[in-house]
This record gives sequence, C-alpha cells and structure tokens, in this order.
Amino acid sequence: MPRIPASLEALDEVAGYVHALAERAGLPASRAHRLRLAADELATNIVVHGYRETKGELGVEGGVEDESVWLRFEDDAQPFDPRDGLQTPEQDVPVAQRRIGGLGVYLALTALDGFTYERVAGRNISTLRIRRDGAT
Amino acid sequence: MAFTATLSTDADIATIYLAGELDASTAPDFHEAIDDAAATGAGRLVIQAADLTYIASAGLRALVFARQKLGDDIVIVITGATEPVIRVIRMAGLDRSFEMTSS
Repeated sequence: MPRIPASLEALDEVAGYVHALAERAGLPASRAHRLRLAADELATNIVVHGYRETKGELGVEGGVEDESVWLRFEDDAQPFDPRDGLQTPEQDVPVAQRRIGGLGVYLALTALDGFTYERVAGRNISTLRIRRDGAT
Repeated sequence: MAFTATLSTDADIATIYLAGELDASTAPDFHEAIDDAAATGAGRLVIQAADLTYIASAGLRALVFARQKLGDDIVIVITGATEPVIRVIRMAGLDRSFEMTSS
C-alpha cells in the first residue's frame, strides 16, 4: 500500500491519487468530484483528529471493480471512527448561530455511495465507495 | 495546490478574488482575507469564485466565519461559482445563507 506523510500539505497527493483512480474507472466529472471531496475530508480528519497533527503515515490504496470504485485509507493513529463526529447541518438554524463542527464528515458521507470503518490490529481502516453507473 | 485570496476595495465594496483549491491547508489564507475585508468597514463583500476550482469543508467554515464576523447588515455575494463549488455549498445547506449570482 502506498504511504504518504499524514500532514495537510501532503493531501494534494491523495487528490492526485483519486484523480488517477477516477480516470482509470472512467467516472464522470461529478462522481470523480464526490470521491475526491470525500477522500479529502476523511484524510483531513485522520491528520487533524486521528494523529492530532503529530507525525504519522497514511496508507492509500484503491481499485476499480465492475460496479464501483473503492478507496482505502489505513493509519495507526488512535482508534478513530469518523462517523462519531457526524453532525447533520442545522438547516433551520440561521448561519450566524450555526455550529460548524462535523461538516467535513457530513459532506464525505453524503458524497459517497458506501463507507465502512474497521479497527483491525491497531489500525484504522476506512473504505470509501462510489458506484460507476446509475444516477450521478 | 496553488490557492490565492486577493482583497481589493472600491468605494463601499470589498472584493475577495479566489483562485485555485480551497481546502484545509489553504483556508487560513481565505480566513485572513476575510479578516482584512471586515477591517475595511465596507458594506458589501463580493467573493469572486469563477476561478475557484474546488472547495472543501474548511472553505465552507471560512464562509460561515465571514457571515458571523460581518454580521447581518453586510451583504455577502458569491459570484460566478463553478459547478463543483456550488454542489458542495448546497450539500452543506449553505446556499440560502449567501446571495449567489452567476457572474
């Protein structure tokens, strides 16, 4: 599994990896964008909340299957299920009073067609999935 | 990825021109431009987004910060946003919080 330093500055590499993966899968632009957004938000979370901006590594791997494209992140930060931070935007609350945490996870999970998280042998493993056909 | 946030003022209008990708690593620059725009005391903030190719939640948080910092009396207009940017603003339910125009 290719590894990158777990830092915000290195996340362009994730974007580049996702771009190449989406191209290989022939994803239309809107789906490629959804996968990139979700990957960016979840990788940012691993850097900021998982490693708490201390040194670490982020494994990135992906593949193309008949029906979907998958992308997997692996890290050995503290146990961290991104869904724990999920908050639905408070649409009824005026923006001036709105709490603004949890938005990244909300965007990521909304953008994806599938998401799983596992803690295996001291590692956090997140798998992101986007369908290749059907509605955009 | 390259990102720039450039502030200019003309009469009572402050304009922030955004270009590139607005994510967690570049949002502090936008944040700073919003602080500077607020300090001008302009009655209207225009965010030119035609050359903004990507926005992540960190960028949305900066927009919410702008709304909270400037208060309700100051109009914030986002102009020329591209499809990927509009989509994310909508996903977050923020499209009703800002005036959005096509150019």
